[in-house]
Amino acid sequence: MKKALKISILCCNYTNLSEREDLEKVLGVLEIKRFPCSGHIEITDILRAFREGASGVMVGGCEKGTCHNERGSERAEKRVLEAKKILEEIGIEKERLAIFYIPRLSAEDFVNNAKVFYELLLKLDLKEKGQ
Amino acid sequence: MIIAERRTIPEILENIEPYKKVLLLGCRGCVAVCSAGGDREVAILAEALRLARSRQGKEIEIIETTFIRQCDPEYLEPLKELGKKVEAVVSLACGVGVNLIADLYPELRVYPGVDTSFYGANIALGEWVEKCRGCGDCIIDKTAGLCPIARCAKNLLNGPCGGSKGGKCEVRKDMSCIWHEIVERLKSRGEMEKLLEIWKPKDWRPAGGEGLRIRVREDLEI
Repeated sequence: MKKALKISILCCNYTNLSEREDLEKVLGVLEIKRFPCSGHIEITDILRAFREGASGVMVGGCEKGTCHNERGSERAEKRVLEAKKILEEIGIEKERLAIFYIPRLSAEDFVNNAKVFYELLLKLDLKEKGQ
Repeated sequence: MIIAERRTIPEILENIEPYKKVLLLGCRGCVAVCSAGGDREVAILAEALRLARSRQGKEIEIIETTFIRQCDPEYLEPLKELGKKVEAVVSLACGVGVNLIADLYPELRVYPGVDTSFYGANIALGEWVEKCRGCGDCIIDKTAGLCPIARCAKNLLNGPCGGSKGGKCEVRKDMSCIWHEIVERLKSRGEMEKLLEIWKPKDWRPAGGEGLRIRVREDLEI
């Protein structure tokens, strides 16, 4: 059986209110891990998600200036940059990890970003298989 | 403090390639303060190595721990037991820690997880700059506390070279010419006569010219 593409979404608890039916619009297997703040997402959480089989990891934070903790999503962005360096050293395309700033409590933006990310991962997978 | 930088993951992977059980050993001394080898860096590197090895289809068991220091024998004592549980140790301490482990536990295969870089100061969050080279014969009493050995690209002892321009070093344009700063500071203090003094030739022997450097304080010895 063909293995479904898995996206691990690590996000701030306040970034989305998506319900099961919203997420059904996104193809692939979605795994959502919610954190009290995106600034609480560690590099180890990102790497672990890859080790547990994610094709891509999407870090979702509140738009700049709207974080409950002021600079949580900026902190998350820096960790994502550092994690990308590690992924490259390991031989994983850095594009498989991305940060999205999502308006707080917007399910639509959240789902749309996940759809776009899914398409990107699909292309990367096809490129990898073509090599 | 001693500043270090994590080695690349391929370099570390190459060293531990034959092993299935490894101890990743951090240090809460200098390398923790410069964010190269403390608890947090141990956790990140462990996860990175697990991910890399799982992609190679060669799972690895990693024990993660961090000692208070790795440059004192007493703090290394837990290695007596821990060392029996693993095939190799990757130490995230500076080279001092790795060497001391190699000296005290010759049966352990120990590999460096960081490159030891320099003695530096934490001038801003996430930024460390060299301030001292540990040459063993300080001259900063004569240079307003600013060290030309560590901070002049040419280690000059007699004022700026001809390449100093607008207070900047010719070797690195983003770097201040330390001799320019020394002169400006002494001038502002009215102490320029300090630079008229003819210094004795610098004694480079304490910089390592006589081999291993050893310091003994007999009053502290048991």
